[in-house]
Amino acid sequence: MKKNLSFVIALVVTAALAAVPLFVKKDSLLTYLCMILLYVSLASSWNILGGYTGQVNLGHSAFFGLGAIATRLLWFAGWNILLAMLVGGLLAIAFALLIGSPAFKLRGAYFTIGTLALGQILYATVGNLFPQISSMPVQDLISYTLVTRYYLFLAVALITVLAATLVANSRWGLGMMAVREQEDAAESLGVNAFQHKLLALVLSAFLAGLAGGAFAFFQIGYYPQYPFSPIWTLDSTMMAYIGGTGTILGPIIGAIFFVVLKEVLSLNLAEFHPTVFGILFILVVLFLPGGFMGLWKRIKDKQQKKRESMAELSHP
Amino acid sequence: MLKLTEIDTFYGDLQALWGISLEVREGEMVSLIGPNGAGKTTTLQSITGLLRPAKGSITFDGHDLLKVPPDKIVDLGVSMVMEGGRVFAGMTVLENLELGAYGSRARKERFETMEHVFKTFPRLKERLNQRAGTLSGGERQMLAIGRAMMSKPKLLMLDEPSFGLAPILVDAIFEMVKGINKQGVTILLVEQNVRAALELADRAYVIENGRIVGEGSGEALLSYESVRSAYLG
Repeated sequence: MKKNLSFVIALVVTAALAAVPLFVKKDSLLTYLCMILLYVSLASSWNILGGYTGQVNLGHSAFFGLGAIATRLLWFAGWNILLAMLVGGLLAIAFALLIGSPAFKLRGAYFTIGTLALGQILYATVGNLFPQISSMPVQDLISYTLVTRYYLFLAVALITVLAATLVANSRWGLGMMAVREQEDAAESLGVNAFQHKLLALVLSAFLAGLAGGAFAFFQIGYYPQYPFSPIWTLDSTMMAYIGGTGTILGPIIGAIFFVVLKEVLSLNLAEFHPTVFGILFILVVLFLPGGFMGLWKRIKDKQQKKRESMAELSHP
Repeated sequence: MLKLTEIDTFYGDLQALWGISLEVREGEMVSLIGPNGAGKTTTLQSITGLLRPAKGSITFDGHDLLKVPPDKIVDLGVSMVMEGGRVFAGMTVLENLELGAYGSRARKERFETMEHVFKTFPRLKERLNQRAGTLSGGERQMLAIGRAMMSKPKLLMLDEPSFGLAPILVDAIFEMVKGINKQGVTILLVEQNVRAALELADRAYVIENGRIVGEGSGEALLSYESVRSAYLG
């Protein structure tokens, strides 16, 4: 019953999002929605490893960047964009497999620092190898339509959220959450922690790679280094924490909240919005563990306890 | 059923177990008692593969456990309830139980097994969709044991199931463990609650400083002067 309801709501929201370009004709608003969808993809893919599996990855932009760079090069070389994106996703997987084994030798904060370092290394390397700005060729500019980009972002966001939902409700997802909660207890039940972490990393990387591909198709001109910037990682991490890690809705809520707030702040406070977000992030971690979704869960737990104590009073 | 022969286990350079040999026969309830830091938990972890002994052998039902990866040992029918229960607090009771049946052998029959677990722990059925973190201490321990039962173990090992529980709950938990044993599950119990552990067990081993220093029927050990003075005061 509850599952059917969520399914219907998801279907209605998807249909509404698909219909948006029919009604929204303002490019600025459509661009804005594209950004929300991109961040939904990034935060939700981060959440598979960082939220469900508990491995806080601060090198997520590496996968986004690899997807972007591969897609851009292949697309400009005349490939079909979808095929180019797929290769971008596969390149992200290849990198994930390469770093997975050494990175997961590290635990907790050391894993996080390790991934941050890997992301920074890639950021610097790409900056050195591709110092020139990457601009769309004229023929692509002429045929450029924002609506196509919007649908591509929407498709990637839907695939990402759907994949996260399927994994979270599978046996593998159960194992991932157990690894997050208590790795050694999970192993004592027969859950192979390394395999679960690696699967989460690979899936997270592939989806971020696809998002990178959509970005490469969307952005007219940028430095190839830009998608590798740690800012993408930090933004998606913050969104997941603010909305609630380890939930499907959390990163979506976080992404919407973040993009809207960022817009409001940059209109009114110009350069100060990173400061505001930093403070907000600290406040969430300190006073709102589990983000918005965590707050909701605690309210439900309290109601449950209340119901129980009432039930115990009436049937001693 | 389970046989440890002369095992030595190390934490890095530090030797924790010195030539431990013990045996648990099918259907038995065996207790392993001893003071803090004697090597009780280390012994259990050597069996489950969390730690690997440097020397000696461990066999279970004819399998050489030292050659089996830790995540496959559960599939053979060895299950452990860790100290403090170690339930997954952020997950529901149902999810915790499902995780107990993670191995492919147990997973197929998980719903039947769950009904069986509810017969021993009816409380868990009432709490099925609640997060484990909202359970009381006794309920958590029941969930931990129920979760271990979900793997359909032939041998159930329990590390201090009475730890941190109110006395009245301790008795209830021990009753449940005895009940599980009567259903045909072999039990290896590690306890600091020595009197209860010896009263319940068919046989017991006493471990001190990483060595087995005594062995006998529970009743016999209860009457030993050295055990009485050391553990029962």
